Parts: sequence; structure tokens; C-alpha cells
Amino acid sequence: MKRFKTTKGLIGIVLLLAILLVAILGPMLIPADASTAMDMHARRSPPTWVHPFGTDQLGRDMMFRVILGARTSLEIAVSAVVMSVVLGLPLGLISGYFGGFIDNVLMRLVDTLLAFPALLLALTISAVLGPNIQNTIIAIGVAFTPYLARIIRGEALRVAQMPYVEAARSSGTTDIMIMIRHVLPNILPAVIVQGTISLAFAILAEAGLSFLGLGTQPPAASWGLMIQASRDQLDIAPWTALVPGLAVALTVLGLNMFGDVLRDILDPRAK
Amino acid sequence: MTYIINRLLSVILTLFLITLVTFAVTNILPGDVAMMIMGTQSNPEALSGLRQSLGLNDPLLVQYGHWVGGMVSGNWGNSLIFKKPILELLSQKAVASAIIVIMSMMIALALAIPLGVWAAVHRDRWQDTVSSSSALLGVSLPDFFWGIVMILVFARWLGWFPSSGFVEPSVNFWGTLQHAFLPSLALGLGLMAHLTRMTRSTMTGILSQEFIRVARAKGLAERTVVWRYALANAIGPVITIAGLQIGYLFGSIIVMESLFGYTGMGWLTYQALLNRDLPLIQDTVFVIAAVVMLTNLAVDLLYIVIDPRIRLG
Amino acid sequence: MKDIVSVDHLRVEFATDSGPVVGVEDVSFTIAPGETLCVVGESGSGKSVTSLSLMRLVEFGGGTITAGTLNFIRADGSTLNVAAATPEVMGQVRGNEIGMIFQEPMTALNPVFTIERQLTDGLMLHKGLDQAAATARALELLRSVRIPEPERRLKQYPHELSGGMRQRVVIAMAMACEPKLLIADEPTTALDVTIQAEILALINRLKRDTGMAVLFITHDMAVVAQMADRVVVMYRGRIVETGTVQQIFEAPREDYTKALLAAVPKLGEMKGKSAPERMRLIGDEAARAAQAAPKARKREVLLDVRNLTTRFPVKGGILRRTVAQVHAVEDVSFTLNVGETLALVGESGCGKSSCGRSILRLIEPTSGEVWIGGRDIGNLNRHHLRKARADMQMVFQDPFASLNPYRRLKDQVAEPIQNFNLASGAELEARVLQLFDRVRLPREFLNRYPHELSGGQRQRVAIARALAVNPKLIVADEAVSALDVSVQAQVLNLMMELQEDLGLSYLLISHDMAVVERVAHQVGVMYLGRIVEIGPRAAVFDNPSHPYTKSLLSAVPIADPSKRRFADDLSFKPITSPIFPLGHQPAPSVYDQIAPGHFVLRA
Repeated sequence: MKRFKTTKGLIGIVLLLAILLVAILGPMLIPADASTAMDMHARRSPPTWVHPFGTDQLGRDMMFRVILGARTSLEIAVSAVVMSVVLGLPLGLISGYFGGFIDNVLMRLVDTLLAFPALLLALTISAVLGPNIQNTIIAIGVAFTPYLARIIRGEALRVAQMPYVEAARSSGTTDIMIMIRHVLPNILPAVIVQGTISLAFAILAEAGLSFLGLGTQPPAASWGLMIQASRDQLDIAPWTALVPGLAVALTVLGLNMFGDVLRDILDPRAK
Repeated sequence: MTYIINRLLSVILTLFLITLVTFAVTNILPGDVAMMIMGTQSNPEALSGLRQSLGLNDPLLVQYGHWVGGMVSGNWGNSLIFKKPILELLSQKAVASAIIVIMSMMIALALAIPLGVWAAVHRDRWQDTVSSSSALLGVSLPDFFWGIVMILVFARWLGWFPSSGFVEPSVNFWGTLQHAFLPSLALGLGLMAHLTRMTRSTMTGILSQEFIRVARAKGLAERTVVWRYALANAIGPVITIAGLQIGYLFGSIIVMESLFGYTGMGWLTYQALLNRDLPLIQDTVFVIAAVVMLTNLAVDLLYIVIDPRIRLG
Repeated sequence: MKDIVSVDHLRVEFATDSGPVVGVEDVSFTIAPGETLCVVGESGSGKSVTSLSLMRLVEFGGGTITAGTLNFIRADGSTLNVAAATPEVMGQVRGNEIGMIFQEPMTALNPVFTIERQLTDGLMLHKGLDQAAATARALELLRSVRIPEPERRLKQYPHELSGGMRQRVVIAMAMACEPKLLIADEPTTALDVTIQAEILALINRLKRDTGMAVLFITHDMAVVAQMADRVVVMYRGRIVETGTVQQIFEAPREDYTKALLAAVPKLGEMKGKSAPERMRLIGDEAARAAQAAPKARKREVLLDVRNLTTRFPVKGGILRRTVAQVHAVEDVSFTLNVGETLALVGESGCGKSSCGRSILRLIEPTSGEVWIGGRDIGNLNRHHLRKARADMQMVFQDPFASLNPYRRLKDQVAEPIQNFNLASGAELEARVLQLFDRVRLPREFLNRYPHELSGGQRQRVAIARALAVNPKLIVADEAVSALDVSVQAQVLNLMMELQEDLGLSYLLISHDMAVVERVAHQVGVMYLGRIVEIGPRAAVFDNPSHPYTKSLLSAVPIADPSKRRFADDLSFKPITSPIFPLGHQPAPSVYDQIAPGHFVLRA
């Protein structure tokens, strides 16, 4: 099992590094118009030497579009998760550490928000603000905040009851310093693990939003959009769905594997 | 008894908060509902008249009051795109969604519990690796991707199931099930992967507890220890986790129903969002959140029936 | 008579990520019918691995028996080598011919099944009884373990029973098929002392009534002295010494056994002495001789607690209103002198911990006054309270949880000094260094993290941290109860040495009467939130006058096999609930002075 875990962690890290590399370097290496250039002689071309991943209904090269899509997906997912951590961390930390009235009010609000399915909330916010990349980030970021706040609050509550926090308090450490020195470092592992797993969910959410036309808008390249476009040509050009689908799957798989291993390493309770 | 009354009061409070959140989210909308109804070419006077009659010029608090007051008195307003009373639309579509939500949950639980138990029993061995890896793969694929694969394989290639649409159960119940099967399966597989992981970790925790050792020390067969002693303790937490997934399911049906042209609540919500049908958005979002909250309540109550510690404590 | 169990050269290995690790090695012993064999050792000695091997339960924890035989004489007279038995045969032996009870009564019963179901399933399996016959036998078993209202218990779930009752049910389960051997793995470690006495007495009576053999695993030498016919001492997976209980206690051969025994305080050994004495440690005679005769200090009051009351709200309902109150500390008054130790003793839930925390205002008391050095702590605002904390520090029970796992030890010891701006820069470093020396921690530890240290070392860090701001009072909440006995003695001696050198006052919160007898100047016995008896240690221990103090002292096992006390069934009054409805006003505590400074609560 140890071997399985190490292998899992390695695969996860390799997958993530590869995707990061593609997302960061890829767009610089490919010709500027390559992803939008339409090869009218090769519309819906299956994978060939010229188009290794085939082409779509407009004759655009799938490989270039998947590479550009990687960038869009990661940009949106990372920004959205950073946003939800930035919002959720202080909420959860204050709620869990101080408890009492503040906690009651904040958690009642968070519980209410949790009744709204994250995807529904994100879709609604995106529809209301008007779909574009920036609003997709806001939509996903807001929709994920209650989940993070809940988890961080639980962790903060657990840590706040530890004897070392009581020891710090009894030796005259102020609340602010206790939160910075003792609570924050001890909940950070859980936040990192949760952040990684949230990244996976955010990739899926972005794909879902774009698939429904309420996320990234054409002509920008997005995996969700590509799957959406493939729907009408499934039987004649199945690769148009499989290529972006596989891209999503590998990215999310890499994040989940990495997150699982991180949890094993960082979460003391899982040991 | 006091517990039930307290829960009921809490439900009413949460419903109130849900209306607040729904209203807050939908009314930061920068678009103009009146212009959407009449088109951009309509004359300004008619537009302002419509605004007046829809109450769009009122302060937000008044609009909110009208909306909630209307819902309480049974007047849920009219959909702008379907030109029909929303309450009527919702009651039509609710059945369709209920069918696939229940069906996918059943598929997921029927597969996830045995698979998760199997993995936990053979913890750290190849069975666990197989089960955990496939579950990991399952949670990593977007469920609409599963949907597309289902359409391709079972509808286009094999032709076993219809690829889209919905049939009223009163018309042809068998047809309803046929139409519901593929979207349910696609939803159920994603859900299953998640529940398998949860069942595994719950069972792993339970199997390391002292009472399991005591059961073994009594000479009970390992079969009995796992499937009676341990599973009886895991079922409560697993059902709770499954209940929490209802929220996830209600998000996913928006995608899945749209993909399969299956005209349920998810599809309705999607049409509302796509066309910025404000009254319909407000009502569907509210109804979905309320249903999710009430399902979670039902699961909590079910837990009380299952677990004697809460039942009598 | 032929031995019922003979273990020969047992070796158990555990598969770990870094290859196999030996759990026990070369372990051999025998058990005769009707005999109690105690296997004793500190944590990590392999005593539990040995008992689990005999049931072949060790495999479920990742262990493998790699060598040796474990012969067990079955009911039909045949000899079974447990190490080589098939799972089917083990299924017939477990619970039927060998019964087993475990440490944690709170988790030993399946929470979702009734007591009846858990008692009857083994009977139906092994004895082929039908449901009615099995239920009748279950009822009989509950009676034999002296559970009140047995008929009602059958229909109840485990959470409805107290810890002591659950352990009785677990024993009834183990006894169900009248096994020839009962394995008891630390069966009383998690229990309060009065309940421990009841359970030990019960095991003794059942053994006498049925003639079964008992394999008793424990870390507690006092329990060994009370229970054993013969003793096996284990250390790091190997047997150190085997012998009759008299041999082991009166003429131990091995140094390890001698050291182990020396560190154990024996209740009653301080009779006739008024001042505390250091714990005995082999090889520490020099240090003990150095213990100066108690300095004739002027008896000056440091801590004066008056009518301290702490109640916790029990919340309920949607608005989370207070529906009842836990009366954790109820009208408690005492004084503690400079340079002395006052021990608050009592069983779990008696309010001793809450009392300590209320004094430090780590929890807010409901009413009462706490004077330290002429200041009422209860009246200080946040700012002044923070300043006043320099005078009073705390050492916690769990050395694994009381240090922040993510901070260097030197930073944790320096933190209190920085909080009060007592030193900085080179001066701060020198001060931390000095504190490490003071508690005899090597200087290499300065830059280490808590997980690199043992329990005893961590507790030294915690003491250094408490000393950092030169406090006058240290509240030590079960500060040594999580430690192995020899480490416990070392830490206690360090604390006593610091007291003599620095004039510290300790409020020692403890459940361990034998330890308290050695180290305390004054003792307060707590029961249901009140002090029921308080006075000089000698007075309270030599002349216990409150009924609760008497029963508490009578329940403590003595580490001396010639003073056995648990032959017959014992039954102590169960502790009632400290939860009262809102507005309940209990009567004030009124005391009778029966000797100078010795007060007893008036009933």
C-alpha cells in the first residue's frame, strides 16, 4: 500500500507538472493563430500526423485548442479557489476560534448557502453577471466559499480546543497572536489539502459552466466548450468529445491523486 | 417532541434565509427584465409602463415582500419565456427530476456500499488498490462526459435506450424509465465513485474499533463481523453522506437534463438562466435549495431512526 | 495438574513500510488451571501483543506469529497449537473456550445493537441455544456480574449504561460460554478507582466460582500485587523475569524489575511522616540524599480561593437557550501556602479540573473570589488578567497535545517571556538555555520539534515553558498520569526539586492517591463539585473522615501482595449527576473542623 501511495503521489505530481508546463509554456510555443486557423480541407479530421488530436467542425486543430484550454481552465480554477480561500479562511477562522454568537450567525448563513448546490449557485451568479471569464471566476469562487468556510471552521474549532492553545492563552499570548502562531499553522495542512481538492472541483465546475454556455465564451478555447461543440457530431467525430474529456479527466485525476497523498502526509488524523 | 418542534422552527428560519439569499443573488442582475420581455426596439413609454406593472421601480425591500408574499399565498408569478404560471410548470417538471434523482441514488448506493466494504476489508491489498483507483478515476471525470459516453454507446451504437426526451409516467411508465435510465446511470456512476470512497473510509474507521475486536474475540465469523457488526454502524454515516450528495445531484441534473433533453426541473432551471427569465430563476433556485434543505432534514430524521444513540439520547 | 496454556518461544513480527518489526521475541510462559498470571510492562513492552497472539487476533492488527508454539488444552482434553490452528478451529475456541475483555469499556460494545443481542449471539453460535434459552442465559450472566435491573438492561443500548456497567457487560460476554481461560487486557485502566476495585473484585470472584485461569495484562504494579498468583515482567518485547507474586515483589532478581517496583508509590507508606518525600528511583540515591530537610519556611498564604463556583450551561432548543446547568465547581474554598503543594483529588467528573481552570480563569467562574498575592483574579479586566498570568502557569495532562507540533521547542519556551517583554535577543536566548538546563533537557533539543521527543521529555518542555515567566503558582492538571511509572517518578522529582529551589506552589490535580500521598502537603478531596474533606496530607490519609474519602481510599490498590483488598464483591455508591435545572440553588458548603486544619463537609 505504501508502494501504491508513493506511485499514486508520483503519478499525480507528474500529471500536474506536465499539465502546468503545457498550460504555461504551450501558448507561447504554438503559432499565435494556430488554434483559430481553420483548415477547410480537413474539417472533422480524425487524428493524423498533421493534426495529432484531429480537428473540429470548423477544421481547427484540436491539439492547439486543448493546450489553450488548459490555460483557461487552470487560470479560472486557481483564481476561483484562491478567491474562496481568501473569503473562507477569515470567516472560518474567526467563527471556529471565537465560537459563540459570531459563530452561530456565520454558520447559520453558511448552512443556508450550502443548501444551494454549488453548480446552481455558480450558474445563477454567472447568468446574472453575464458570462465571461472574470465572472466565471467570481461565480465559482463565491459558490465554493461556504464549503471552505465550513471545513476551516471545523479545523479551527478543533485546534482552538487543543491544550497548546490553552497553554498559550494561560501564558499571556493575545488572541491575535494565538491565531497567527498556533491556530493558523495547525489548520494550514487541512486548508492546503482542501484547496487541492477544490481545484479539482473547480476544473469540473468550469467545464460544466462552459458546457452549458454560461462560462467561458467562444471563440476562447475551453474544454467544456469543446465538449459542448462535439455533441452534434458524436457518431462521426467522437474524438472531438474524447480529447477534451480526457484532458479534463487527467487534470482532475492528477489533482485528486496529489490531494489524496497530501492528505495522507499532512493530515495527522488520517494516520 | 420539543426536538421536532425545534426542528420545524429551524426549517422555517432556514427557508426564510433561503429566500433572502435567492433574492440577493438574483437581484444584483444588471439586465433589464422589461426590455427582455418587450425587446430592445420597443418604445420607452411602454417599457416604463411595464416596469411599473411588474413592480421593478419599487424599492428592493418591497419587491422582496411581493415575491415572498406571493409565494406564501400561492401566487408564484408567471414565466416570461413559457408564458405560464410558474407553479404549474414546477409541479409538472418536479416528477421527472424526482425519478432520476431517486434512480441515480439507488444505482450509486447499490454499487458503492459493497465496493467500499470490499475495499475496506482488504485494506492495503490489491482489492483496495483496484477499488480505490477506479473510484478515483470516477470522481475525476465530469458527469456530462459520462453522459456523452452513454449516449454514444447505449443510444447511438447499441440503440438500447433513447438518447433524449421525456415521457410522462401517466402516459407510458415503462417509457419514462427508459428515458430516465441513461441520465440516471451517468449521474449514478459519478456519485458512486464518491460514495465508494466515503464507505471505504467509514468502514476502515469502524473496523479498527474495539467492539470489532470484541466481536472477533467472541468467535464470530469474519463475515458476520463485517457485514453485521461493522456495516450496521457504517450505514448511518454513509446515508448521511449520501444525503449531503443530494445537493450535488441537484446541481448535476441541470447539466444532465439539458444534455439528454430530459424536461425536468434541471432543464427548466437551465432555460430560465439562459433566457434570464427572472421570476422563473428566482422560483426554481428557491425550490431547489428548499428541496435540498428538506431532504437533508429527512436524512437527519432517518438517522435518528437508524442510530439508537440519537433515538434515545 | 497440567498447564492449560504453555507458550514456547513466541515471536511476532509486524509488517511495516520499512520492513518487518519484531513485536515480541522469545516469550515463554505457562498458565495453570485456576491461576492468575499477570503480564506487566510499560508501554511498548509487547504485553498486549502476547495476549492477542493467544487469541490469534494479532493478525488483524498486521502481526504474524513467525516462530514458537502456543499450546492450549481444549475442553475435550486435546492439545491445540493456536499458532497453527485454522480460522475455523479458532472460531470455535474464541469466545467459547477462551474469553477476552479489553481496555476501553466505552467502545467495546457495538453501539447500534442491544445488550441482549450482543450477549446472546455468542451463545447461539457456540452452544447452539435457541433465542429464548440464550436470553435466559444472558439474564443469568447479567445477574452473576451483579448488574442492577438485569431485565431492563437486556433491552438497552450500550450508551445508556455507565462505564463500569459496560465493563460488567463485557465481562458477562466473555464469561458467557464458561471459558477455561479469561484474558483481561488492561481491563480497568480506563476506569475510575472505585469502579476498578469493583471490577477487580468481580474477576476474582468469577475465577473462584468457575475455577478458570486468568491471564491479566496490566501496566500497574499495584494491580499486579492485588491480582496475581504469578507474574511475567516484560520489557521491549522480551520477558525480563518470571516468578510468583511474592518473589517478584519481595526479592526481584533483575534490575529492570527492581527499578520498576521502586518507582511505584505504595499507598500507606507515608504513615507517620508529615513532609512529602521524593519518589524512589534506582540509581538516584545520591539525589535523594541531597534532598534537604524541609526548610523552615514562614507559612505564608499565596492562593486564597473563596466560595468559588463554576457552572456550565447545558444548551438546547433552536435558540440555543440554557436549559440546565452543570454544577462543575460548587462553593469551593481553600488556601495554598507559598512553597507548598495542595492536591485536589477525586474521580472523573468531580470538578477538580474545572476548579483548576477556574482559578486561572481559563474558564470563567460563575462566582467567588481568587486571591493571588493580594490581588483578586476574578475582578481583573482582560488587560490586567493577561498581566497577572505571569504569576500563575499551567502544566497539562497530555504531553502530546500541549505542545504546538509546528513550532520549535525553543520558540515555545520563549513565547511566554516574549509575551511579557521580559527579555529579548541574546538575553532571551540565554534565558531559554537556562530553562532547558533547569529541567535537564539536552541543549540539542532547542531546535527540535515536539514529535522528536518522548512523553517525559515533552512534559519537561511544558514545565520549562511554565517556569519561563517565574510564576508563583503552577497548576498541574494530571501532569504525570499519561507517563510510564519510572518517567512519572522522574518528572515528579523534578517538580519537587523545583519547588524546593524556587519556592513554587503547586495545585496538583490528580486521581492517583498513592502519588498524592507522597508529594502533597495538603489534600482536598472533591466530590460532585465540592470539597468534601480538606486538610494536611497526613490527617486526611491517616484519619479519613468523610464517607467518600473513606471509600475512595479503600478502593486504591496497594502495590504490596500482602495487603490484598479485593477478595469479595465490592459495590460503591455510583456518583450522581451534577446537572441541575436552572435556578437550582444548592446549600452552601459548611465544614466541621475535626483537627487543626482538617475540615470535613457537613452532610
